[in-house]
Amino acid sequence: MASADPFDSALDLLRRLNPKHTTTHLQSLISLAPDLTEDLLSSVDQPLTIRRCKQTGRDYLLCDYNRDGDSYRSPWSNEFDPPLDGGVGGDGGAGDGAGAAGVPSDKVRRMEIKANEAFDVYRELYYEGGVSSVYFWNLDDGFAGVVLLKKEAKPGSASEGSWDSIHVFEAIDRARVTQYNLTSTVILSLSASGSGLGDLDLSGNMTRQIEQELPAENDEQQIANIGKLVEDMELKMRNLLQEVYFGKAKDVVGDLRSVGTLSDAGRDRQAQKDIIGSMWAK
Amino acid sequence: MSNLATVESFVEGAPPGELADVIADIKSLTVSDPGLVSKLAPAFEKYNEEQFATVKLPGGSQPVIISSHSALGGGRYYDVESSSSFDFDHTTQKASGVQSHALEGAQADLVKSTLKSLSTYVKEHYPNAAYGAYPIENDSKVAVIIVSNKYSPNNFWNGRWRSLYIFDPASGSLEGSIKVDVHYYEDGNVRLLTNKAVSASVSSGSGAGIAKEIGAGERKYQEELNRGFTSLSEGAFKGLRRQLPVTRQKIEWDKVASYRVGQDIGGGSSRR
Repeated sequence: MASADPFDSALDLLRRLNPKHTTTHLQSLISLAPDLTEDLLSSVDQPLTIRRCKQTGRDYLLCDYNRDGDSYRSPWSNEFDPPLDGGVGGDGGAGDGAGAAGVPSDKVRRMEIKANEAFDVYRELYYEGGVSSVYFWNLDDGFAGVVLLKKEAKPGSASEGSWDSIHVFEAIDRARVTQYNLTSTVILSLSASGSGLGDLDLSGNMTRQIEQELPAENDEQQIANIGKLVEDMELKMRNLLQEVYFGKAKDVVGDLRSVGTLSDAGRDRQAQKDIIGSMWAK
Repeated sequence: MSNLATVESFVEGAPPGELADVIADIKSLTVSDPGLVSKLAPAFEKYNEEQFATVKLPGGSQPVIISSHSALGGGRYYDVESSSSFDFDHTTQKASGVQSHALEGAQADLVKSTLKSLSTYVKEHYPNAAYGAYPIENDSKVAVIIVSNKYSPNNFWNGRWRSLYIFDPASGSLEGSIKVDVHYYEDGNVRLLTNKAVSASVSSGSGAGIAKEIGAGERKYQEELNRGFTSLSEGAFKGLRRQLPVTRQKIEWDKVASYRVGQDIGGGSSRR
């Protein structure tokens, strides 16, 4: 049997090992197989880091898409921190072509500004706190972007949690419509402890994809389309997470051990069968 | 961290029923260093003993438990219920070389009566569990183990419940821990990991008394765990992200710029 592709094996491993420590596992995999570094860093989602923008004082989120070397671009000021050598960044020489050093063209940056404002409203309405950041970049036949949202529950209370949303999309120009390809990952960590409960950790990530064609006549429509797609996806994923975290996990525990006695459960099932049987007999 | 320590940590983190998958991944990632996997035997032994791996003996019907408490040394383990000892291959998880193994010593009667009462309890609450009791610490104490596994890889989930108790006949104290491990991995990776310390005293000091305390403690814990799910769902989860905005309506994206004004007046954006 031919051996599996190492990249696939690395992803499979990350799907099995404790998702609470994905960042640690990722570093381990990179040290074990340095050839996979680029591919793994660009395809494995990790919890987002928050940084404060020196120019505006506002918090923004760090990811691979606003990174240039060791510097990260703030969506609020468009400046890199620490500043890039050679003065790239800000309004520096990006023109209408693909942005140098990951900076979008002026046209796409104007959309990025509007998208950040729109998702800041979205963040407040759904998260009532937290941090949001949107980064756009140019494509040959359109543009692409990532919408990031992060919220952390108060540490120190009986239950703790954090939510990270990472929505990566492409918006590709077609004849009359724009084709949107959206890949969304939510990383959700929850934990609780107490004298009766002991320690409980419920952590993980789920990913979903969608493709949709929508008309987009102008920048406002582009942002409205992306907004709707992200909003619908997050609603769907929130429901899914609720089902898996609190429905499925609890059901599996019930499959491992039954609170009631199994003979009672067996008798109940038999009684139910008898009732159904007697109804049919009538 | 050395490459060996790295892959050992992967073995240690394997979810219930997925050790073989993790090993296959490790092999694929270390093809350039094929000797590495052969150095993993100690890691497999540690994993099997800590996770209470179960194995059916050749010709036996009930699974028996691998643990440090049932180890005889030299890769051999024993089971009281079937009065047998056997070789266990930690890499293939197969048993062989079964011999009869009679339990003797000061705690032999307590171990046997505990197993008898435990058998009734386990059958009533675990659809698929293995259990064992073993004299430990120079025959001064008794270790009791219950492990329940359910694997459903076709539906992308696996689970394990394991309990370990140490009974001290001198003081009548029963100390232990319950650990639950559930893995769900369809288009994602979700893991439930719990650890609950248990402490009780068994005044009668009898096998029936031990089983009764274990049963009461486990019932209480499972009820507490079920309440824990509800309070996380209603508490932390709801607090992170609302299902819908306060208005109970989705956002009107073509009017999102005007939301801005209302939001600022409401002062909501200053909240963290």
